[in-house]
Amino acid sequence: MKRNPFPLVVLIVVVVFLYLPIAVLTANSFNTSRFGGTWEGFTLKWYYQLLLDNQVWIAFANSLLIAAGATLSSCVLGTTAALALHRWNTRLQVFHYSLIYTPLVIPEILMGISLLLSFTAVGIDCGLHTILIAHTTFCVSYVTMTVLSRLQDFDDSLIEAARDLGANAWISFIKVQFPLLLPGIVSGGLLAFTLSIDDFVITFFVAGPGSSTLPLMVYSMIKHSPKLPVINCLSSVMLLLTCLLVLASRALQNFRGNKAA
Amino acid sequence: MKRIVSFACMLALVCGCGSRKPTLHLYTWSDYLDPGVVAEFEKANNCRVKIDTFDSNETMYAKMQAGSAGYDIIFPSSYQVSLMAQNNMLQPLDKTLLPNVSAHFDDSYKKVILNPDMVYNVPYAVTFTGIAYRKDKVGDVPVDTWACIDNPLFKGRISLLNDFRETIGAALKSIGFSLNSTNVDELQKACAVVQRWKKNIAKFDNEQYKTGIASGEFMLGHGYSGDIAQIMIDDPKNIGFAFPKEGFTAACDEMVIPKTAKEPILAHAFINFIYDPAHAAKNIQYICAAMPNREALANLPEAYRNNPAILPSKEILSRAEVLKDLGASNALYSKIWDTIKAAE
Repeated sequence: MKRNPFPLVVLIVVVVFLYLPIAVLTANSFNTSRFGGTWEGFTLKWYYQLLLDNQVWIAFANSLLIAAGATLSSCVLGTTAALALHRWNTRLQVFHYSLIYTPLVIPEILMGISLLLSFTAVGIDCGLHTILIAHTTFCVSYVTMTVLSRLQDFDDSLIEAARDLGANAWISFIKVQFPLLLPGIVSGGLLAFTLSIDDFVITFFVAGPGSSTLPLMVYSMIKHSPKLPVINCLSSVMLLLTCLLVLASRALQNFRGNKAA
Repeated sequence: MKRIVSFACMLALVCGCGSRKPTLHLYTWSDYLDPGVVAEFEKANNCRVKIDTFDSNETMYAKMQAGSAGYDIIFPSSYQVSLMAQNNMLQPLDKTLLPNVSAHFDDSYKKVILNPDMVYNVPYAVTFTGIAYRKDKVGDVPVDTWACIDNPLFKGRISLLNDFRETIGAALKSIGFSLNSTNVDELQKACAVVQRWKKNIAKFDNEQYKTGIASGEFMLGHGYSGDIAQIMIDDPKNIGFAFPKEGFTAACDEMVIPKTAKEPILAHAFINFIYDPAHAAKNIQYICAAMPNREALANLPEAYRNNPAILPSKEILSRAEVLKDLGASNALYSKIWDTIKAAE
């Protein structure tokens, strides 16, 4: 039987479109040439500059702090919202659903500027806290949607069984429903984290003085900075960190899986 | 719950620890101040300086209009300064707090800034658009004229700026009109010029052309002097910068203090500090663009002083024209630009 060439073609297309730019970027982070047009020799000087660049690290810390905070708060809010939407089928919940759904579809720029307008109207000075609030606002929707889809497959008779066996509402939630929902919450949280850490448009508007995040910084560097290769280095480092993180979580899962077996 | 509380505490800590010393907040372009100079200022005034960056005048303006507050000095371009002043967003500067500015400002630059009275603004860096060229490829062909874009010798090896004001402006200049023209006839003629140019060039580009010139992919590049000066310093033998004799654009980024500034006195001190000739000289070398400071410009190291992209002669300066905000006529330019982009 002749093998279907289609998967191979898809593989090549994916590699070329997704991974070639990353490979070029990583290679250029070691390039002596500042503009990366031609290969002029191997160097680590850009990495050294990156190491010394305090501004970048402060921005990086801001980004991590906000992403972690937004993930945590949106997981709590998103899960409760999903539970409410799942449990009650009233008019109020229909309205609630559309409220949750809106941030997914409205343009980011609209959301950014309206958040800024409302912060200034109330008299809140912008800073890290306003970015955190803004990120939580749009992350909640994503978490709610993932948890909700998990709830739709959820077998409610499990809870009834737990109640039958004497568990009260709280215990049955903690011992039965929550563990079963956890994968949904975690994947929602991961989605929230990635969305938060690379959001530019909304962050640009709600960021106050002294609260630049990494995307804000990188964006203005790309356009005007003579230190372009430093961004390449930073991207390569982040890429490496992400890969290590993914590998570590895989290893952890395998380890747990083996133990269970 | 505990985790949220502890996170809130952490956040409060992070936000709160800056409050002991006064903090000056700058809103500027990326890598636009020598970190050494900023550190000196922090030491001299026992304060902290925090720098945030923006990438375009327009987005910065949108954010300020929506009410973003707390920045003490902003670095917009001239035309944006006019707009911000009109909208009552800026504080008039107290000249008594800026002795260095009155002592060292180079008057020959008054011509290339839009608001020479300097009520709200102090010029920071002046840049020009001109033609970058590869000395090794161009040879004896004169490039100090917009006409060289038509030269068949360079076919397919030229890049023009992807900016309608700059490129239509260059075309207007090449046929002897003002680059702030709003006359429909003149603009139609300029449109025809750019359409002719389009057949001879490789592409319209605003960011990658530096790479193209540095690697020799392009022989000519219509570009900003600040960008070109950077690559000239890396490769002075092969790269040159020419000011077209028909005229070219000048632009200036200025320092302004918004009404909502929290540390206006410290902000004045910073502007004054920047205008000290020694500090100005450091910044000029860091950003590769001229700051109109007489003493600083006179004492630059040779490599910088002899670089026309950084320090053009008085004669060249007299041919520069500043881009003005055209208000409603911008639409006319953007329509012409669409025609050009759509043309074969």
